[in-house]
Parts: sequence; C-alpha cells; structure tokens
Amino acid sequence: MLIRLTPRATLAAAVLSALALTASACGSDSGSDGKASDNPGSSEAPSLDLISDGTLTVCSDVPYPPFEAFDKTSPTGFKGFDIDIVDAIATQLDLKVVIKDSDFNALQSGLALNAGQCDLAASAMTITPERQAKLGFSDGYYDSEQSLLVPSDSSIASIDDLDGVKVGVQKGTTGEAYANEHASGADIVVFPSDGEMFAAIKAGQVEALLQDLPVNLDHQNDPAAAGEFKVVETYDTGESYGLAMKKDNTDLIDAVDEALQTMRDNGEYQKIYDTYFATE
Amino acid sequence: MSLKRSTRRRLRDVGAYAALIAVIVVVVATADREAISKNFLDGDTWKGMWPDIILIGAKNTVKYTVIAFAGGIALALLLALMRLSPLRLYRWLATVYIEFFRGLPALVVIIFMALGVPLAFGWTPPGGTIGAGLIALIMVSGAYMAETLRAGIQAVPKGQREAAQSLGMNGFWTMVTVVLPQAVRIVIPPLTNEFILLVKDTSLLTFVGMQADQVELTSFGQQGLINYSNASPLLAIALVYLVISIPASQLVAHLERRQQRAAR
Repeated sequence: MLIRLTPRATLAAAVLSALALTASACGSDSGSDGKASDNPGSSEAPSLDLISDGTLTVCSDVPYPPFEAFDKTSPTGFKGFDIDIVDAIATQLDLKVVIKDSDFNALQSGLALNAGQCDLAASAMTITPERQAKLGFSDGYYDSEQSLLVPSDSSIASIDDLDGVKVGVQKGTTGEAYANEHASGADIVVFPSDGEMFAAIKAGQVEALLQDLPVNLDHQNDPAAAGEFKVVETYDTGESYGLAMKKDNTDLIDAVDEALQTMRDNGEYQKIYDTYFATE
Repeated sequence: MSLKRSTRRRLRDVGAYAALIAVIVVVVATADREAISKNFLDGDTWKGMWPDIILIGAKNTVKYTVIAFAGGIALALLLALMRLSPLRLYRWLATVYIEFFRGLPALVVIIFMALGVPLAFGWTPPGGTIGAGLIALIMVSGAYMAETLRAGIQAVPKGQREAAQSLGMNGFWTMVTVVLPQAVRIVIPPLTNEFILLVKDTSLLTFVGMQADQVELTSFGQQGLINYSNASPLLAIALVYLVISIPASQLVAHLERRQQRAAR
C-alpha cells in the first residue's frame, strides 16, 4: 500500500495543483472585481456592478414551488413566481437573466453573494433583521404567511397540539424560527428542503409541517395526494419576501426597487401574482 | 544529453522542490488575509460554537460512525461467509447483494430507507429518520467490508485449514478458531480505512432530517453558517473531522508497518 512517488510524479502533482490553484484564484477574482465597466446598448441604465456584464445572475434554491421550479420549456430552465418577477425586473433593466440553482443556506448567510456566485438571490426569502444585517434587501415583493400542514385524519388542529409531536421544518427558514419560538414542546425535525419534508410526512416520519403557506397549500392541493393533507392554521408574521443582494451594492438595490415599483404601477406585478396566487 | 545520470536526478529534485515552493508562494500571495480572518476566524463565532461542536456535533458523528461500523462488520461477516459457502444459492445471493449496494451512492440508500421504505412497505425503521439512515449506512458499508473480509479469509494459507481438519476440527470450529483470527489480522488496515470513510459518510445523514440533539458535525456546521452568517463553522467542523480521522489513518499506517515486519 505504501506507494512512493517518484520525483517526476511529485513534480507533476505539484504543477497540477499549482494550475488548479491558479484557475480557482482566477475564478474568484473575476467574481469579486468583475465590474460592469460599461453597458452598451442602454444609455439610460446606470452601469451596475454585476458579476458578468449585461447579465443579472440570480441564485435560487430550486425547487420550491410555486416560487421556483425546474421547467425545461422555459428559456432560463426555471419557472415560478420568483423567476417571473426577476425576469421582469431584468427586462426593465435591459439585462439578460441567468438562473443558478443554489443552496438556501449559502444564500441567506450571504456566502453565495459575497463569493461572487450571483448578483441577486430570489428564493422566497423573508426579510428579517438577522438577514438584513448581512444582506441588502429590495422592498418586499410578497407577503409571507406561515402555516401548519397535517394529514387529513390527524387530530392536530393548532400549534398548541404539537407537544411531543414530530414537526418538520426547513433548515434556516422563518418556519423553523417560528416553530422554535411558538412550539417549544414539539420535536422539531430539520430538513434540507421541502422535497424531503413532504416525503417525510407522507412516510409518517413527521406528523406536521410548519412552513410558508403557499408551499403547504401546494401540498394540500397536490392532485397526486388529493385529500390526504390539510392546512389547519396560518400565521401572519407581518413579514414579506425580499430579493437579496450584496449589502454594499446599493446601485443594484435601488435599480431593483425602482423596477419593482414600476411593475406595481403598470399592473405587471399583479398579472404575475394572479398567475400563481389567484383565488378562484 | 551529456549530463551525468546523478546530475540529471539532482536537477529533477531541485525542480520538484522549486515547484512546491512556487505553489506555496502563490497560495500565500493570493490569499486575502483580511478576508480569511473575517470570514473564517471570527472570534465570537468560534466561542459561540464551543462546546456544542464537541458535545453534540462530534459526539454524534462518532456515535453514528461506531454504530454503522459495528453493524456493517456483522453484516459483512455474514455476507463473506455466504460468498464462500459451498451452496450456490448463498453465493449468488451474497454476490447480488454486494454488487447492488456497492453500485448505489450511500445518499440514495439513506434517503430511500428513511423516506422511501415507509411509503413502499408501510414499515418505519426504528429510530426515526436517523435510525433509518444508520441502517442504510450499515447496509452499504457491510457490502464494502464483505469483499474485504472475503479476501482476508481467502488469504489465510490453505495449509492452516488442512492442519486444523487433520486435528479433527469440524468446518465451523476451523473457521472460528483458526481461519477468522488470522483473516482479521490481515484485514484490519483496510477495515480501518472503511472506518474513516464512514466518519465522512455520516455527514450524509443531514439530508433526511434531524432533531436538535441528533445533529452531527456537518449539520452543526450548516446551522452555524445560518446562525452566525459567517464561514467560520465550516473551518471549525473541518478541523474536528481531521482530529477524528487523522489518528485513525495514522493507526492504519502503523498497523501496515507492523504487518510488513511480521510478514517478512
């Protein structure tokens, strides 16, 4: 098992690792100082600080329907409320959109943005003071509500019935914080994403899910599990979703806010909203 | 090329060292020390993680590893004996099992056991999602270690078995008292490697959901990323993983050296 490298092999290994390091160094460089020097074709748009010129690179933790989901037929490869909103904003700013699937923890901790992986995070992210400390948020674009989903035959009717009950939440979400605060007697099981959570409640590994209302509603109305689950309670947290950007990229934040306002004024926002959340 | 062979070798050695030094210089020169200390060495974060990183994170990582390893060895022994069985059906079953579970990513088996099996069979493995994940790790590591054990059993010289039988020992006692003890000696280094692999594979359990007191190192680090919005937890858990795995790999090296000496 003891393999001695010949000096030639050592040299080759050293050179290879040097190359790899140089390559990765270059990669992170272009991320941190890739300034949009000029923005040809749009004289009115200010030159925004983007990781790649003329393109709004957006990170999102997919899937999280109806906010983000994969869609092969769409030009970006994704669909959902967040995706449509970002798409409309980019159109207004005369930018192309590239969407990257990412990890929510990397997004909400600011690591993905600070590491230059993307310009903006659109991932159903609630604006909270903790997140505001490390991220720059746009104005709210969606009012979030939390909710409790249980199997239809469950005796759980409210958050007060959760003592000793296994409740699924998603790591790092408002739902997790809400459960920790208001359901302290529950056995809170933390999952990486809604995909595992929904499978877990179907599998009986947890007895309830506490998370964003639209996602739980999606499960309640899931045609593949019709009538199996119901939302028994909703919680108004007075919070809303925001688009997150690097804290010091104020030009981009302002531009996004302006675009959002324009969309609300000209009815485009309402049109997108109704596509996903229209009641009847 | 009129250079002497020894000169050429010396030049080559110098080249190798020069390349190594160049790499170190490049790394040190390009590292942004301020950013590193801000992102990875944040004092409050490090203090905030202590002592839970050891009392919860490392404790659970070691606990899960030991459970998966012990269960895996027991399963591996059964499979190895089945593979060496005179009965063709047993040999065939063991081969199918081993090839099946060596061919699947551990993560897929973990998710399947925790979330798929209850759906498919209406049976929930004991211990919630973590219990199911541990069963999955046992199933996968058992498949790997079975092949190692089989090779070890077959490496015991035939004469040992024949000698035992000539003394009137039956097949079972020959296996238990003569062959297996020698086989175990042979397979200790590769099994220790499997142990180190398992230490790292326990990080996959984070995918099937954990309660606060079940959190292992990787989940602990991920939660740290969220709570402190800082990359220090990543560095911290990396160091703790090394504290666990480097002594184990040193042990392998030591055992290998001893074995080479004994074999001489």
